[in-house]
Amino acid sequence: MTAPAALRPTGSPLRRFPALVAYVPRACLPARRLAVLALPCATILLSGLLSRALDDSAARAFTDVAVLAIFGLAMPLGTLVIGDAVLGAEVRSGTLGFTWLTPVRFWELTLARWLGGWLIALVTVVPSAAVAAVIAGAGSLIGPVVAATAAGAAAHIALFVLIGALTRRAAVWSLAIVFVVERLLGAVLSGIAQLSPTWQGQAVFTGLGDVAGAPRRRGIPEGWEAVTRLGLITVVCLALATVGLRRLQLTGARD
Amino acid sequence: MSAPPEALDPAFAADATVVVDDVSVWFGQKVALSELSCSFGPGVTGLLGPNGAGKTTLMRAMCGLIPPRRGQVSVLGHDPRGHRDVQSRIALVPEEDAVPEALTARQLVRYQATLNGITDTDAVERSLAEVSLTDVADRRLGGYSKGMRQRAKVAAALVTDPEVLVLDEPLNGADPVQRVALIELFQRLGAAGRTVVVSSHVLHEVERLAERVIVIVHGRLAAAGGHRAIRDAMADRPRRVLLRSDDDRRLATGLLGLDQVVAVELAEGGVTISTGNAGELAHALPGLSRRLDVRLREVRALDASLDSVFADLTSR
Repeated sequence: MTAPAALRPTGSPLRRFPALVAYVPRACLPARRLAVLALPCATILLSGLLSRALDDSAARAFTDVAVLAIFGLAMPLGTLVIGDAVLGAEVRSGTLGFTWLTPVRFWELTLARWLGGWLIALVTVVPSAAVAAVIAGAGSLIGPVVAATAAGAAAHIALFVLIGALTRRAAVWSLAIVFVVERLLGAVLSGIAQLSPTWQGQAVFTGLGDVAGAPRRRGIPEGWEAVTRLGLITVVCLALATVGLRRLQLTGARD
Repeated sequence: MSAPPEALDPAFAADATVVVDDVSVWFGQKVALSELSCSFGPGVTGLLGPNGAGKTTLMRAMCGLIPPRRGQVSVLGHDPRGHRDVQSRIALVPEEDAVPEALTARQLVRYQATLNGITDTDAVERSLAEVSLTDVADRRLGGYSKGMRQRAKVAAALVTDPEVLVLDEPLNGADPVQRVALIELFQRLGAAGRTVVVSSHVLHEVERLAERVIVIVHGRLAAAGGHRAIRDAMADRPRRVLLRSDDDRRLATGLLGLDQVVAVELAEGGVTISTGNAGELAHALPGLSRRLDVRLREVRALDASLDSVFADLTSR
């Protein structure tokens, strides 16, 4: 039996962390995935245009369309494309080994992947939502829609990172959770809606926008309370993802 | 951990840096490794086995990518899954083709250097130069050939100056010139006291690379030792050989008189024999052919594939 050898210092997390975050936009989103991400962004822009066709005030029309098209469809899909790319796709392809086989701590890896993904959402999904509000002529809702999509994207990406750390079929499970659990069950059960980034993102928007007569989900916190709830969901998902990464088996792409 | 292995057991290295102790790994119903015990020390060790033997699983377990269901793996005395810092002393070059395609080779190597806390700024360039990728290091990996990707992965592994280097089929896709260069590189690292473990399913490739060989079949240790001992073990096994001549009947009669021939079977397509010593038979055949005045048209081993050789080794 060999005596444990002394291990050389492996550097500070502060030095590693920027490299870990920078890896995400450089390596995790190839051109093909960016093209796929362009679709939900285009849907968000289109929703701004569509709201102009409604016979209502600009703010009310944009709120109605945004609740359905942005928070109910485009934002979950856009963040799914990003969230799956930052971890799940790497587990499937076998490239996560390049990061896993380093002294990087699992919490660093989880946090960096989430942050890298969120930064991508902040320059793609979130500005699209702001531009959609401008297109809709609802300038007063730019702030609420930016806050809601930014907070919603943070929680959604954390959720998809968690799914990527738990299963190899991350994309399929992510789709199932968005449409079956969040949309379908969340529409009926407030307990699920309270934990759903989709519903909570929508609640941030409707709460902060406070447009008269706008559709509101009962039984869940709104506005800044919903932002806090989304922050909690993000933290819990990232903590669980760290545990998941610790238990992950990287068997390779062929297995 | 169990008692230290016997000093003379060829499956165990004297100054082991990597110890595999009674390791079993299974995925669902499929057993990938079964009660495998061996160790690796400084120098180049070849890991030989047919496809699906468990070589890749063993290498991944050695690096901590896969946890053993039973038994333990230790690298430099540490659990590679539980002790993150040990990852800076071990490097894996995986067999699979997957690389972050949007990165350049230089970016990939620099990424590895940064994550491993390498502060020597020349280390990246040295690693790229070791595998002759300097000139194309700023091209994206997605545009690389399989052999170039393999070399980029080797460069990414070398940048940390690992004490233990695990290479899964590293010569796949490499051209003949690069093969020679990579073999020399691995041998140089082994001679410098690094633990280099190289897997292959090609016997002669391992012979060129490694002074010590561990053979795995069906997830179990089949043989271990110097490559001569492994080859001798393989040469001793009975082999089937097909002979075709201008007079198969006369040839079959003559073959019955040879000591090396165990059984003879005459069929329409030629004479099939079983031999306990293929090497001696090859020497005896020209003389027999002259003596019988028979012209040999074809001599072909029927079971020379590694799979059959490995299967024979495991059945002992």
